Amino acid sequence: MEAPPLPARLGAPDLGVGVGLRIPHYEAVFAEGGGAGVDWFEIISDNFMVEGGLPMWNLARALERFRLVQHGVSLSIGSTDELDWDYLGKLKTLLQRTRSPWVSDHLCWGGAQGVLLHDLLPLPYTGAVVKHVAARARRVQDFLGVRLALENVSSYLTYTSSEMTEWEFVTAVAEEADCALLLDVNNIYVSSYNHAFDPNAYVDGVPHRRIVQIHLAGHTNKGKYILDTHSAPVIDPVWALYRRALTRTGPVSTLIEWDDDIPPFPELVAEAAKARAIRDEVCGARAL
Amino acid sequence: MPAPSEPSGHAELLALQSFLGSAFRRPRPIAQDAELSSAAAVHVAGNDRLTPAEQADIYRQQFWLRHFDSLAEDYPGLAALLGGDAFDDFVTAFLLASPPRRPSLRDLGEGIVAFAEGYPGFAREKRAAALEMVRYENAIVDVFDAADPPALDPAKIAALPEDAWERARIVLHPRLVRMRVQYPVHAFRIAAKEAAEAGEEAPAFPAPREVWLALFRRDLTVAYEELPAEAFALLEALSQGEPLVPACNRVAGSLGEAEAEALGEKIGPWFQQWTGWRWIVDVVL
Repeated sequence: MEAPPLPARLGAPDLGVGVGLRIPHYEAVFAEGGGAGVDWFEIISDNFMVEGGLPMWNLARALERFRLVQHGVSLSIGSTDELDWDYLGKLKTLLQRTRSPWVSDHLCWGGAQGVLLHDLLPLPYTGAVVKHVAARARRVQDFLGVRLALENVSSYLTYTSSEMTEWEFVTAVAEEADCALLLDVNNIYVSSYNHAFDPNAYVDGVPHRRIVQIHLAGHTNKGKYILDTHSAPVIDPVWALYRRALTRTGPVSTLIEWDDDIPPFPELVAEAAKARAIRDEVCGARAL
Repeated sequence: MPAPSEPSGHAELLALQSFLGSAFRRPRPIAQDAELSSAAAVHVAGNDRLTPAEQADIYRQQFWLRHFDSLAEDYPGLAALLGGDAFDDFVTAFLLASPPRRPSLRDLGEGIVAFAEGYPGFAREKRAAALEMVRYENAIVDVFDAADPPALDPAKIAALPEDAWERARIVLHPRLVRMRVQYPVHAFRIAAKEAAEAGEEAPAFPAPREVWLALFRRDLTVAYEELPAEAFALLEALSQGEPLVPACNRVAGSLGEAEAEALGEKIGPWFQQWTGWRWIVDVVL
């Protein structure tokens, strides 16, 4: 008997359009009416896995006013090092506080033999690596008790050992781990430029019902390659990929990332408004 | 939680990650090393715009940029004190000797004080100030997001009988840092940050001045106080578990007669201030 189709977004809520909560925006965000135009905020989990002080005070006041979703950068799900259970314990404690409907991190490795590079490094796209990552993702998801969403990363190199396309790899990991996906369409664009593949084929090729969130961001074109800097507005080809993704996923929580050369908050909200307009056009307007 | 047995292909992935993890931490471009470039080409495909070594080098550059930026942000006083090139040399040596092992960049400076103490590259005339600065800035990182213990219960103090103070032990905030320094590193750090923000040159190397500093968190931000030497000595005695009255007597005993008499007048206001700043978190019998 065939398995029933997965529910859209694996049943996760559609939160609308959000932005990353960043320190330079705190004054504007926490002012009276400061969150207008933003449906939810994404926090970097790693910044709030501390004991106290200003970070935890800011987390408390953000939780009083906004819906928060956790996004991490240090899980290193593809590393050959043992999972960092101390890190995961702190992540779980934070999840209990934020009640984030899912928790995301990157489909990458970040270090080896105990040394961490604090980077999001691509994995070789092989069947063996699919099994390795999926087994770890299952353990993490079981431990956290919250749906894990893995995000496709921007990459600047490819491996001689890869046996499949990146989107085939992403799909295989998500299916084998039974986890969610955070589809970063800017990352797809960046990698498609760097490795000369068709970004539309990528968007079409991933399991759309597993996508619980979409990331949008700007980048820096260095000529021979594009660097994923999150330092500029989203460019038109990335908006086009977003539109294409939405036609396949239906309405899905969308987030604008901006981490370098951070503009005034109204500029970020305006970028979120562009995303909302596209969402409304593709998926139909809805009340949140 | 036990790890399941490793699937096939684990050894290949480990070899790849070990090789690249090491290559990305090289201080010099990968393409400048012919042997390393050849080894990179075994794992990295390259394309018609970039060789395998050039592709891998993007990550190497990012490793150094990211970690330099992070340390420069946490140690702006040290950067200004040493100057650009000397700070770069120090950071490079530190990252080579103590590669990052903690998930958060907040912890990148873990071990930097011990490393600095054995670092031979500081200019002789700057070494003492540099060591004091690195200790001071490392303490700021720890104080910034440390946990707060429960606040002192005023009812508990009020209930203490008069004679209890003879044996009462004062519990200080665990993240109240006390430093005796020979250079005014606190003032220099502020001046350096202000100069950097204004796009001006770093301030002149500070003249020596002995300072007794307390570093703590006030209204969620890290603050410092310059203390009188005898207040610093009293805090040191209290931190070592000496009861209040004997600690005061010991400090007084190290002073001249007039100063010792004056000390009695100062202790009350000090305690009021210290309690207000939450330096005192408990009194135990």
